[in-house]
Amino acid sequence: MEKTDVSLQEMYKSILEGYLHTGSEHALYEAQQFSRQLIKENMTPEEMVNLHVVVARELIPDLPSEVLEANDFLLEVMVGYGLAYREHQSLRDRQQQLESELAVAAQMQQELLPKRIPKSPVLDIGIKTVAADVVSGDYYHFIEDGNDHIGIAVADIIGKGVPAALSMSMIKYAIDSLPEQRLQPSALLENLNRVVEQNISSNMFITMIYGSYDLKEHKFQYSGAGHEPGFYYNHSSRQFVDLNTKGLVLGVMKKAVFKEYEQKLSPGDLIILLSDGVTECRAESGFIERSELTEIIRKYEHLSAQEIVENVYSELEQFQNFQLQDDFTLMILRREV
Amino acid sequence: MSQTCVEVRSEWSIVAARQAGRTIAKEVGFGSVDQARITTAISELARNIYLYAKVGEICIEKVVEANKVGVKVSASDNGPGIKDLRRVMEDGYTTSGGLGAGLPGVKRLMDEFLIDSKEGEGTKIHAVKWLR
Amino acid sequence: MNLEINHIEKEGKEYLFLQGEIDVYTSEKLKQTLLPLTAQKGNEVIVNFSDVNYIDSTGLGIFIGALKSTHNHESSMKLTGMAERVRRLFNITGLDEIIDIEDSEREEAK
Repeated sequence: MEKTDVSLQEMYKSILEGYLHTGSEHALYEAQQFSRQLIKENMTPEEMVNLHVVVARELIPDLPSEVLEANDFLLEVMVGYGLAYREHQSLRDRQQQLESELAVAAQMQQELLPKRIPKSPVLDIGIKTVAADVVSGDYYHFIEDGNDHIGIAVADIIGKGVPAALSMSMIKYAIDSLPEQRLQPSALLENLNRVVEQNISSNMFITMIYGSYDLKEHKFQYSGAGHEPGFYYNHSSRQFVDLNTKGLVLGVMKKAVFKEYEQKLSPGDLIILLSDGVTECRAESGFIERSELTEIIRKYEHLSAQEIVENVYSELEQFQNFQLQDDFTLMILRREV
Repeated sequence: MSQTCVEVRSEWSIVAARQAGRTIAKEVGFGSVDQARITTAISELARNIYLYAKVGEICIEKVVEANKVGVKVSASDNGPGIKDLRRVMEDGYTTSGGLGAGLPGVKRLMDEFLIDSKEGEGTKIHAVKWLR
Repeated sequence: MNLEINHIEKEGKEYLFLQGEIDVYTSEKLKQTLLPLTAQKGNEVIVNFSDVNYIDSTGLGIFIGALKSTHNHESSMKLTGMAERVRRLFNITGLDEIIDIEDSEREEAK
């Protein structure tokens, strides 16, 4: 646009003229207001420089020719600068659009998580999950079959962001559609593995631990698919034991088998399940060790399961200087009586 | 219709192409802002040739249509061509470094922009700026 | 956080020496180097981890992709020289059962 907006030009002319006459702060304030107008009108830097050159020429008729040439020189520089400016604006618009799409994805993802924690007089459950970014790669699930068992899944989908969110809905619906196997963790993982293997790209995978808590016998039966090991905490000896499992991550081999394990619980004992974001949390001083994590849990043992996970999270959050590097999920089950 | 062509094979020829463009833009009657825009566009097109195709040609001519007059810049080379045109035309895509560089910039500077590229055969670009 | 990749061909084998961290940011670069090697029939690819101090799940994913590629193209891949922290992740994920990992610190292409 060679011919700049006449009204803008008139406006600028009167402001500049005022300044040349009075040199007042008030005129400079008007200039600042004017620059807002420029941004609103989407005026590019080279157009502004041109506007200035045109107006200055009108107001100061006897400008030396060197100044005029120098102005043309500045104009050349501003064309390149203006291109960068406009590209920047266009990228910013696109970023805003992507961010709002991502926010919708995150909202949908929240809908995939359980709406409430199962309540039982004999089992206290606490869960804390926090996404490092907008969208999380961690997932957890409860299944109440009304048959004195609670099924519990904690899964970690490789990577973060949108691909993880897409895979998550696949796991949820796959689990929901396998009603008969609910109580057998190994069979559940084998079925799930087949679904995942068929539907996931070649360098993606999912890790998962699935367990079934027997509310009558107080046994926790579980199987793991390459998931970060959980812990069993013995209340009377105050000792932690790793819940090691043998089993390949989901989505890699069609026919994977998963070993099944069992842990008996006495009153006050804990089962702790987590995602690797808990143990992979890094600070300047290095990674947190599993032994440090258990130390923190022991410190809050006297609190409710939910209070324990909240407290562990806030300690680890501080440890990482409030910059979560990976999605965080921590679940604690405690046998009450 | 007269046409000025510059063979691009060195950084010096980029300057020659700019000079030719500025001369014609002036003749057609463009003001200083648009002169700067047209030469910047020529610069970018010539630089692309120099960097990716090594050798090519920039031609500049005055164009006249029913009730308007303008400058047309044509760039052609037999270089490697562009595989994914859509990506190259996206803001933020750059291999030569820096915001505002590349073809999206040329498109912004000019009024009309046409590109035709075949992988392994080369690239042809036509860009027109109309005098308002 | 960086990853350096050195590719050496010796006695018909393809050696990749990795140095740094294999994570979300660097694994694309590793993929670009590793996958073409596993996609050639008969290739023996040996990846040296001696100077890798960190791998995340995206990094593990690259090796899963490469393993699948060796199956599809009749090539092979072996990982050597892992530090304990890195080795642990291959162990937890069960990937050490399906990927050939050599635990001794022998460096064959010095």
